Amino acid sequence: MLTKDQRDALQEIANIGMGQAGEVIARVLNEFVTLSIPRVLILKPNLIAPALQRIVNSEAVSAVRQAFHGNLRGEALVLFGAQRCNDLAGLMGYEEKIDHATEMEILLDISNILVGACLGGIAKQVNADIGFSAPSLMADHVPVNEILKISDVSWECALLLEVNFKLEKLSFACHLIILMPENELKTFAGKIDRFMEAF
Amino acid sequence: MQTKDISHLLDFVVDRLEVGIFAVDVEMRIVLWNHFMASHSGKHSEDLLGKNLFEAFPELPNEWLKKKINNVFILKNYAFTSWEQRPYIFQFQHNRPITGGVDTMQQSCTFLPVKNTQDEVEYVCITLFDFTDTAIFQQQLNRVIEALKIEKAEQLQLSKTLEEAQNQLMQSEKMSSIGQLAAGVAHEINNPIGYVYSNLGTLEKYVQDVFGMIDLYEQAESAITDEATRVRIKEAREKLDMEFLKEDLRALMNESKDGITRVKKIVQNLKNFSRVDAFDEWCFSNLHQGLDSTLNIVNNEIKYKADLIKEYGDIPEVECLSSQLNQVFMNLLVNSAHAIEERGTITIRTGMREKEVWVEVADTGKGIAPEHIKKIFDPFFTTKPIGKGTGLGLSLSYGIVQKHHGRIEVQSEVGKGATFRVWLPVRKPQGKQA
Repeated sequence: MLTKDQRDALQEIANIGMGQAGEVIARVLNEFVTLSIPRVLILKPNLIAPALQRIVNSEAVSAVRQAFHGNLRGEALVLFGAQRCNDLAGLMGYEEKIDHATEMEILLDISNILVGACLGGIAKQVNADIGFSAPSLMADHVPVNEILKISDVSWECALLLEVNFKLEKLSFACHLIILMPENELKTFAGKIDRFMEAF
Repeated sequence: MQTKDISHLLDFVVDRLEVGIFAVDVEMRIVLWNHFMASHSGKHSEDLLGKNLFEAFPELPNEWLKKKINNVFILKNYAFTSWEQRPYIFQFQHNRPITGGVDTMQQSCTFLPVKNTQDEVEYVCITLFDFTDTAIFQQQLNRVIEALKIEKAEQLQLSKTLEEAQNQLMQSEKMSSIGQLAAGVAHEINNPIGYVYSNLGTLEKYVQDVFGMIDLYEQAESAITDEATRVRIKEAREKLDMEFLKEDLRALMNESKDGITRVKKIVQNLKNFSRVDAFDEWCFSNLHQGLDSTLNIVNNEIKYKADLIKEYGDIPEVECLSSQLNQVFMNLLVNSAHAIEERGTITIRTGMREKEVWVEVADTGKGIAPEHIKKIFDPFFTTKPIGKGTGLGLSLSYGIVQKHHGRIEVQSEVGKGATFRVWLPVRKPQGKQA
C-alpha cells in the first residue's frame, strides 16, 4: 500500500500537522492541550472495529463523524468515552444550562475543531485543498463495537490515523480517527511523494 | 463575460439566493447582509453595514456566538450548527404562515472562513439554511415512531395477558384432571377395600369360633388316656406358644381393621374432595363437610406447623361446585401453613350474614407485605421459594370464587398473620352465567 519511505514521511507529516493543530486548539480553548504522537495503521475492514475497541477503552461511547473532501477524501471519527464534555461548555462560551441537545452540540463542535485543525495541519503539509461537511452525530452512548458496522464495503484496506487528545486541566480526553479508503490512499501517496521530493 | 459583469452576477446571486448570507469582520462588524437576512429580520443592509452584529441583535446568544465566530478566525476552518441541537440562531418567522407547525424557522448554519491572499481570515461568512420543512417532517416522524412504540408496548402487554390466561386455563384443566383421576382411583380402590373390610369382619368371627373350639379341646385334654399323645400335644402347644398366638392374633385383627377403616376414610375424602358423584355440577352442599374432607387431605401439611381451631357457625347448605370450593379451601389452608415459620395457629371460622355465608381461614404467620397485597391474586405472583409455590393457587381460587359470584377479602398485618375470608351467596344468582 505505502512504501516504508512513504510511511515514514506520513508519520512525519502527521507529527508536524498535530503540532500545529495542538497550538491552534490551545488558542481556541485557552487551555493546555496534549495531542499524542499519531499512530498510522493500514487495516482490513474487519480489523477496524477491534482497533476502535483498543483505542477507546470504554464500554459505551459517543461518536461524531465528519467527512472531508477535495484533494483528499475520507471520513474522520471522534470518539468520546464515558466522560462527557460538559466541562468544556464554559470554554465554548455556553452560559445556559446544559441539556442533552447542548451536550450533543458541544460534542459536534469539539469534533469539528479537532478534525479541522488536525486534518488541516496534514493537508497543509502536502499542499492539499480540502473542505469539510457538517459533522453529524453517529452514536450517543452505545457499545463501541456497534458504532462502525462495516458490512459491505468496496475497499480492501484503509488507512487509519489515530490521535489521542487530552485537556490536562479538565481531565477531558477523546480520540480522533482519520479513515481513508484504499483508492484515496493512492492520491495521498502521490502527495506524500511530492512532499518528500521537496526536501 | 467581463469581470464587472461577473462581479454583478455574484452580487445578485449572494443577495437573492434563498439562503441567509451575512459576514462579519474580526471586530464583529457586519460587512455583508443579504436580502434573505433583511426580509426575515426586518433590518436592511444599508442600516446594518458597519454596525456590530451583537449591538444590532442583542437577543443573539452573545458569548457563545462570539466564541464560535472567533474560533473560525483562529482555526481558519469551517464551523457548523445544526437545527437538531440548536433550532435557531436568529429568531425568524418560519415560512408557513398558513400551515404552521413550528414556532420559529429552524436553521442550520455554516461558518465559512473568508481568507485573503496571505491566508489570513479576514471575514467570517455565515450561511443560514431554512430547515423548517425537514424539522416538521422529523417531528411527524417522531410522533409516528412514538405512537408505534406505544402500540408495540400495548401489544406486548396484551400477549402477556393472553399467555397468563392460557396458563391459568391450563392449570385449572390440570387441576380438574387431577380431580377426575383421584375420583377414578378412589372408585377403583373402593371395591377391593369393601370386600377386604367385610371379609375381615367374617374372618374375625371365624377366628373366634376356632379359638372357642380349641379351648374346648384343651379342656378335654385331661380325658386323653394315652400318655404319649398327651405329651405330644403338650409339647406342640408349648412350641407354638399358644397363649401368645391367641393374644397376637386378636391384636393383628384389630390393627388390620383399623388400617382398612383408615383407607376407607381417605378414599371417602378423596371422593368428597373431587365429588365424583356430581363432578362440576351445581348442588347444595354442606361446606363443613367439604372443609373437613379437605382438612383430612392437607392434614400432613398442617399438623407439624399449626394447631387447628375450628369455629364453625350455623350455616345452611350452599349452592356451589363443591369440589372447586374444596380447592379454594385447600389453597388457603396450605398457604396459611406455609406462612407459619415456626409454629402457630390456623383458625377456620364460618358464619352467615344476610344471604351470604362466609368461610374464614386465619393464621398467625408472617403476614403479607402491603406492597404485595394488591398482587397476591395475580397469576404467577409468589413469595415462596422456588419449587414451593407456582403463584397460581390464589389466582385460581379467585377465579373459582368469582364463578360463584362471591368474593375473597384479605386482611393482614406483617408479622401478625393473615386472614382470608371467602364470601359466597347461599343460592347461585339466577340468570347469571356461572
